[in-house]
Amino acid sequence: MNALIISAVWGVLMMFSGILLKRHFLIRNLAVIGLVVLLVSDLLEMSGTVFFKMDVKGMILFDRFALFFDAIIFAATLIYFFLSAKDMEKIGVNYAEYFALIFFILCGITLVASFQSLLILFLGVEIISIPLYILTGSEKKNLKSNEASLKYLLLGAFSTAIMLMGIALIYGAVGSFMSQQITIAKTPYSALLIAGMILLLFSMAFKASIVPFHFWAPDVYDGAPTVFASFMATIVKAASFIAFIRLFNDSFGGMKPEWQMWMAVLTAATLFIGNITAVFQQSVKRMLAYSSVAQAGFMMFSLYAMNSDATEGLLLYIAAYSLATLGIFAVLNKMNDHTFDGFNGFAKSQPLVAAATAICLLSLAGIPLTGGFLSKFYMLRAAVNTGKDIWLVVFAVIMAAVSVYYYFRLIQAMYFREGNSHTVQFTQPFKWTMVAVAACVILLGIFPNLLLYWLYF
Amino acid sequence: MGITQILFWFLSALALFSAVMVIASRNPVYSVLWLIVVFFAISGHYLLLNAQFLAIVNIIVYAGAIMVLFLFVIMLMNLHKSSEPKRNKWLNIAGVLAGGCLLLVLVAALKSAETKSSMAVMGTGDIGLIENLGKALFTDYVIPFEISSVLFLSAMVGAVVLGKKESSFRSEKESA
Repeated sequence: MNALIISAVWGVLMMFSGILLKRHFLIRNLAVIGLVVLLVSDLLEMSGTVFFKMDVKGMILFDRFALFFDAIIFAATLIYFFLSAKDMEKIGVNYAEYFALIFFILCGITLVASFQSLLILFLGVEIISIPLYILTGSEKKNLKSNEASLKYLLLGAFSTAIMLMGIALIYGAVGSFMSQQITIAKTPYSALLIAGMILLLFSMAFKASIVPFHFWAPDVYDGAPTVFASFMATIVKAASFIAFIRLFNDSFGGMKPEWQMWMAVLTAATLFIGNITAVFQQSVKRMLAYSSVAQAGFMMFSLYAMNSDATEGLLLYIAAYSLATLGIFAVLNKMNDHTFDGFNGFAKSQPLVAAATAICLLSLAGIPLTGGFLSKFYMLRAAVNTGKDIWLVVFAVIMAAVSVYYYFRLIQAMYFREGNSHTVQFTQPFKWTMVAVAACVILLGIFPNLLLYWLYF
Repeated sequence: MGITQILFWFLSALALFSAVMVIASRNPVYSVLWLIVVFFAISGHYLLLNAQFLAIVNIIVYAGAIMVLFLFVIMLMNLHKSSEPKRNKWLNIAGVLAGGCLLLVLVAALKSAETKSSMAVMGTGDIGLIENLGKALFTDYVIPFEISSVLFLSAMVGAVVLGKKESSFRSEKESA
């Protein structure tokens, strides 16, 4: 509750800061303060201090899982602000409004992390989506940004329509929007309920860019300004997965036999298409877009397995993936040339940043001692514990091996090629934030319980 | 067959027919006009369900405001044959096939659904009356109602961000 209200109010505050504060660094600092306030209030709520008490009629439930996820998201956004907030200046004049929109997105994320009613899910998904359409198109002079925004808007509106249709069918079958009411639906399930569930599955798969609903993702991430693409590929993607897992755990948990096979097929398709297409990309930005699709395939394991291992693993995965991808995107954003060749000789000129980037890449590839390895391990263990479909796990391991190729290609370009990427300059704070990100990634890989401990105590 | 049922079937047929015409007509202006017919037919359904407020709001907001906006946009865009994008024949066929499959699956799944016994009661029931709607909105559904204000606010901020002129951006950047 704390985070929900504070994020909405801070969004309004950021909106007005555009008029009142003329200096960009003041606006930026206000946003950072807002995030710290959000993070602290969220942690306070975890320990039982709730500022705002109101009767939500059971539509929102701020349980430990939701609050902890929110805390991870706010921490990731804070790091995102440290790495990339300065680069938002380059996009357009509406500096304060970009922050306002990001705070509104955070408000939507707290909603989708804790909904107990499909109505709230819909509102949350829309509060996330609409600011994103705008952030994607915020580089108004850039034709690619406009195209990406339009494409995202049209496809997003279409998937929202499918989601609404699904919710309507479920309401027709159950007579309620509440998750609890849907869970206790009688077996055999009515055709209306199943049809509604499948439609919801499709629309959520679209939001999380699961194959075959992923076609928008590479184009939108490629066209959107890089700073916002990194936000979309990490924090917003994590939010879609939380909404996905909450929906299928709380509402459709009892119907697992009906959808488990669907999840297995979607997982396999996402892993395959995401990884194979990423291999053929020449632009690092597009490679990262496809890698985000491929990583979504791993996150799908949590939905497929849907046990306590899976929820734990998903949180760890989200933390490790978001940190690593934010770091790589932040470095990419400073580069002049977004192809693999643009990174040639990067390690010679910027050894510290290159090392941090390499650690992030190793984590994404799932090399041991990094957060990426352990989170993949948790996911696969969750799938093995379900006791069936071992082929899926084997397939995932093979696909993880494929992913090593394109992540190492970037490392190879940085370390073993001669080039002239030394023109790039980094500020001291940026360098140290990158080092901190890399340290966090390694820490998560060695002591995952530092993070997961919070889920229970 | 009472007058309510006749009206129901007539409105349903009208809604379906005009919905098909929306996507079938070549001229976008006709599409918009057919869409207005769809909204009127749906408003008629709301009236049959004794939801006068929804019916009126549907006409005012959708048929009135939004559709007029659509018409303006289409007229301002000044579409004609030469600006029409070339359509790929295979894409059309694929679209029809995919949409047809979805229709088939949904109809096949829903035709056995047990809605026949619990169909909405026409002409009675008062949940759609403005008083009851207001009560539901401001008691049981007050949280989603308030939250939707965040949604609209973000949409408004977005409209300003997209609509504001950026010509001053370059000079501002240089002076900074």
